[in-house]
Amino acid sequence: MMLARVADSLYWIGRYVERAEHHSRLADVLLTATLDQNDTAVTVARRAASMDEAGTLAAPDTPFSAAHGLLLDRVHQASVIASLSRARENARQVRDQITSETWERLNLLYLRVTAPGTARAFERGRGAFLHGIISDIHLFKGAVDATMSHGQGWRFLMLGIYLERAQLIARLLNVCFGDPVGEPPLDDPMTQMSILRMACALEPYLRVYTAEIESRHLLEFLLFDEEFPRSIRFSTQRILDHLTCLAGPATTADRSRPQRLAARLSGRLEFADMEETLRPGALLSLVARECASIHEAIHETFVRYPLEQRLAV
Amino acid sequence: MTPPMRQDADKAPSPPRAPFYAGQPSYDDMFQSDGSPRAHYAALHAGMAALTGAELADRQRTLEQSFLLQGITFTVYGAGDATERIIPTDLIPRIIPASEWAKIEAGLTQRLRALNCFLADIYGDQKIIADKLVPRDLILGAASYRREMQGVYVPRNAYVNVSGADLIRGEGGQFFVLEDNLRVPSGVSYMLANRDAAKRTFPEIFRNAGVRPVERYPDLLLATLNSLAPEWRPDPQVVVLTPGIYNSAYFEHAYLARLMGVPLVEGRDLVVHNNMVHMRSTSGLRQVDVIYRRVDDDFIDPLTFRRESGLGAAGLFNAYRAGNVVIANAPGTGVADDKAVYAYVPTIIHYYLGEDPLIPNVKTFLCREPAQLDHVLANLDKLVVKAVGESGGYGMLIGPHATAAERSVFADRLRADPSNYIAQPTIQLSTAPCLVDGEIEPRHVDLRPFVLCGQDIAVAPGALTRVALRRGSLVVNSSQGGGSKDTWVLAQGQASS
Repeated sequence: MMLARVADSLYWIGRYVERAEHHSRLADVLLTATLDQNDTAVTVARRAASMDEAGTLAAPDTPFSAAHGLLLDRVHQASVIASLSRARENARQVRDQITSETWERLNLLYLRVTAPGTARAFERGRGAFLHGIISDIHLFKGAVDATMSHGQGWRFLMLGIYLERAQLIARLLNVCFGDPVGEPPLDDPMTQMSILRMACALEPYLRVYTAEIESRHLLEFLLFDEEFPRSIRFSTQRILDHLTCLAGPATTADRSRPQRLAARLSGRLEFADMEETLRPGALLSLVARECASIHEAIHETFVRYPLEQRLAV
Repeated sequence: MTPPMRQDADKAPSPPRAPFYAGQPSYDDMFQSDGSPRAHYAALHAGMAALTGAELADRQRTLEQSFLLQGITFTVYGAGDATERIIPTDLIPRIIPASEWAKIEAGLTQRLRALNCFLADIYGDQKIIADKLVPRDLILGAASYRREMQGVYVPRNAYVNVSGADLIRGEGGQFFVLEDNLRVPSGVSYMLANRDAAKRTFPEIFRNAGVRPVERYPDLLLATLNSLAPEWRPDPQVVVLTPGIYNSAYFEHAYLARLMGVPLVEGRDLVVHNNMVHMRSTSGLRQVDVIYRRVDDDFIDPLTFRRESGLGAAGLFNAYRAGNVVIANAPGTGVADDKAVYAYVPTIIHYYLGEDPLIPNVKTFLCREPAQLDHVLANLDKLVVKAVGESGGYGMLIGPHATAAERSVFADRLRADPSNYIAQPTIQLSTAPCLVDGEIEPRHVDLRPFVLCGQDIAVAPGALTRVALRRGSLVVNSSQGGGSKDTWVLAQGQASS
């Protein structure tokens, strides 16, 4: 038995933590790219980081202030500090449902980004600071995996992580390759390496395709790879697995809706034509759209279902 | 007896400083009036003497860090920003010998039995009123009396299932009950968290001390709640109802739910349909049998009590009245811990049990009685006057600390509405040694043991000791600079004074 409100909170913990991790990585790559004087990569990171279409983070003067804002600006909706605060707020609401180990990792992260000396610590050692945040998030995910029962609650948390991940990677790829009108194609190896770093994919990519980086392969890897945990296909497969388990054996039409949507997207990616990597815009917007529908369907099926329907049973 | 301890060679050991206690008027838990430690404190005293001030401070820091990490905090809302603070916790445990605890246990058990009989009577035949032992208007006019509870079936007649009485020591060290706390007493999570911390702070001393474990409190509580469910529900669904994360005791609600392994629900998770209470799960609605509510009476059901409340569930009280769900503690228990009714508790114990109270009350003057009002008015400079309907230190006059002008204003209020006030002698709370800025100093303390009542009555073998951390202060509330410390109840056969 799991309360609907609790399931919702766990799902959001997953989403916020994944968002915090991704944005920490964007900030890190952004700062490194600045050192390399790679303006294209800086632009990509900035645009991938601004969650809303208007791109609230497009304006800051220096890459450093952009990274600082992305990390520590409480007002910016998608900043790391805002995401971790929300994740922890949700965790506090379901404190009884997550293990102490899980809670303590998250609480530690929160205390780390909200402590009075955080801005100074970041200025003193930017790379080390971001590295610390990212590895703490990995520790959190490790605690989730190693100490929580892999039941409903854990599945909702994982659903949040994978759905957020699929959307973030789709957005990143869309910024880079989605129908660039009048922009030169991204074929500079330094930029391509930066993009792979933003997706935490550089080393796994090199092992498959060696150091000859090509945009087509990069897209293929991040969209369709079956084994890389940050590819859209891998994430979609996990989303489907978790939703299948959550729907239970006796699937009534209304409880399996999220599962059906995930299966449809998963099939679409599994049987995609490799030629699509040449013009990936349509596929990427399809992924974004389908992820949004899955998100809606999860909410309507497990959290805000109409009461009349359930009272009759 | 004394366990071996690590010691810094270049730092002189600093034993607890008895001089701070010289000329101390009140009873101290650790030190006798000649400055030597009481027998049951000898091992702790010797163990602490082997530590330097710096080492003690170090352990104190470790303890605070672990509380922060676990999220044992309350939120302070300041200008624009909310900060979280830990409840100040003192690392020096308080020790209560077995013989003394036996008296507390018997006394609190007796008290709760009598108060439950009293509540059953008040919400039933009202014999004690008919026999003119308790004034009718005092009960029926009390703000905490719930007319809606009249004639409602309460399982096992156990109205109060969890109580947390406040006890204080008088000048000779004898315990008195100061308040009964029969509504939604809190603090038990600090008892458990403090114990957890104390084991890590003084592991060697703890191991040899023969301390009775408090760790079974959550399963005792669950057993108590289960015993209230109707027999035809063999596997009852128990839940903890919390007002939510903005409540100052939220940590405790989540803590108890987690340790009992039951869902922590908010009002918005509950749905009442056909007088049955359900919670919204991911797979539909689940019936709820027992609600351990940590929400005040006024807020549990907007249809019956306060309309604007969003914390409870609409229709909950009707489901309760229909016998389809148990609410613990029962609504309306506040009438038995009303400050004026308190004065009648010895009478109540006599009336229902035919026994003398084992733990005495603090002498209380009821201003509603003209003779007692005269006495109070003549002695305002020596008494503490409290408004019956208020709590948390509001509407209160501490005579010895007040100016003549304040006293005369209060005297007018007393004359205008005497039945709203009671008065008690100013009590010098007992002290216990605490670590303050690296020094060991006496601070005033009280004692809150927790008593459970379902099928049986059980007193948890431990307590929350609240500490007034400001020197000389008598206020132990956490909102006003109070802290807490672990309380060790010794098993039979351990050293006692």
